[in-house]
Amino acid sequence: MEKDPSTKSRITTGILVGNLASVLLVGGSKYLVTYLEGLGTGNGSGIFVFSSFIIVPLLMGVISAWYWHPLQLKTKHYIGWSAVNTLVACLASFIFLREGVICLLIVSPLILLFVTAGALLGKILYNRKNNTLNSSLAGLALVVVMVDTFSDHKNVRLVSDTLIVNAPIEKVWPHVVAYKPITLKENYWLFKIGMPSPVESTVDGYEAGAGRKCIFSNGYVFDEKMIVYKPNEELTFDILTQPHDPEIMGHIDILRGQFLLKDNGDGTTTVIGNSWYKLYVFPGWYFNLWSESITRNVHLRVMQHIKLLSEEHV
Amino acid sequence: MFEWVVRYLGFLKHIPVLPHLFDAGLKLISLFTHKNLSDHIDEIETEVLSWQHTHVSAHKYGGVQFNSTRHELGHIHGNGLLDILLNRHHKLLIISRYPVQDHHVFKNSGWISFWIRTPQDKQTAIALLRYVYELKLPQPKQQDLVK
Repeated sequence: MEKDPSTKSRITTGILVGNLASVLLVGGSKYLVTYLEGLGTGNGSGIFVFSSFIIVPLLMGVISAWYWHPLQLKTKHYIGWSAVNTLVACLASFIFLREGVICLLIVSPLILLFVTAGALLGKILYNRKNNTLNSSLAGLALVVVMVDTFSDHKNVRLVSDTLIVNAPIEKVWPHVVAYKPITLKENYWLFKIGMPSPVESTVDGYEAGAGRKCIFSNGYVFDEKMIVYKPNEELTFDILTQPHDPEIMGHIDILRGQFLLKDNGDGTTTVIGNSWYKLYVFPGWYFNLWSESITRNVHLRVMQHIKLLSEEHV
Repeated sequence: MFEWVVRYLGFLKHIPVLPHLFDAGLKLISLFTHKNLSDHIDEIETEVLSWQHTHVSAHKYGGVQFNSTRHELGHIHGNGLLDILLNRHHKLLIISRYPVQDHHVFKNSGWISFWIRTPQDKQTAIALLRYVYELKLPQPKQQDLVK
């Protein structure tokens, strides 16, 4: 966009300082909140508070705008360089925080929006002669980061899905407990671009307390323990260990799974799939959209496979 | 979409920073839907800032606000919607002269709205802001006129 070396230097400095500040704030709050909530033993990725994806990118944009404003750049250039800023932040997260590509793909629209908003706000603020407001805004943002870091972070959600299977309940039940490899074509876009999808389920025994394994497409295994085993009625299992992939799985723990079966009295069966998960990334309103969609598609892939197997010999 | 958000989610505008995020989103989308819009808004800003005693600030509900000393002249949202507050007399006068419309939310008020899309619209927006600017210029006192 600009060719003058001093212009280039100001733009680059804005991007680097903005990113440096965000690395310090995100890294600091992540380790602090993970330590405070005593999660160092469980989740390998720690907790990302909502400030990490909202306040910090806003500050990042405002900081970059501080370096850019003497250049009198056009609004579209501010947006363009904010996009570069976002890209650099994602690249830094990939290298230093070992985030996965799909995870960064999910979070990048949020970061782009906030970095751009911060830069455009900075553009207006720094063009004013009075900078008192700017300092108070920065102070307010830091206070929000601190309050957020020291706040309680619990986000446990349930996702529930229902499917009608055209087979009697006793034909459905065996495939609910364990099923042979899924051969259905992937139709969810995140599965298509490499997110692991469920493939097979195996069990050690057919009783409560027995072990169950859910195997995913990249070889990841969820070790489970069946806690409720009521044939033709309910299967509930707790997740004992789960893989910590740099992708989504590092930021979410699946806590429990459940299948409920209902005889509809007309030779068909209603299958209800429930999953409880805990999110380690905030804001919940944004990441729940994604985690619900992913969990729902895991459910549907398994339940459609169960439907296919159950209806095979009816 | 803008109309839908304003109508059904308008109550969220009181949450700090949220309107500015929405406006940043509008600017991002406008880069693809009306690629010259941000340049038009920048040029309007440059022109207004060349007038005496004017400055810009962030509008509380998102967008860039043009001010003359202590008065707001008008504000432009990220999608190119210019809003100006007038009294009833001047509103009727402006509506008879320019292709402006009632405010997109406050229909029965002194507010008017004008969509900026083309270079011609940019000139009209500048003319509208100049009209308000001159209205709000301090009137010379009688004794100054005698001198």
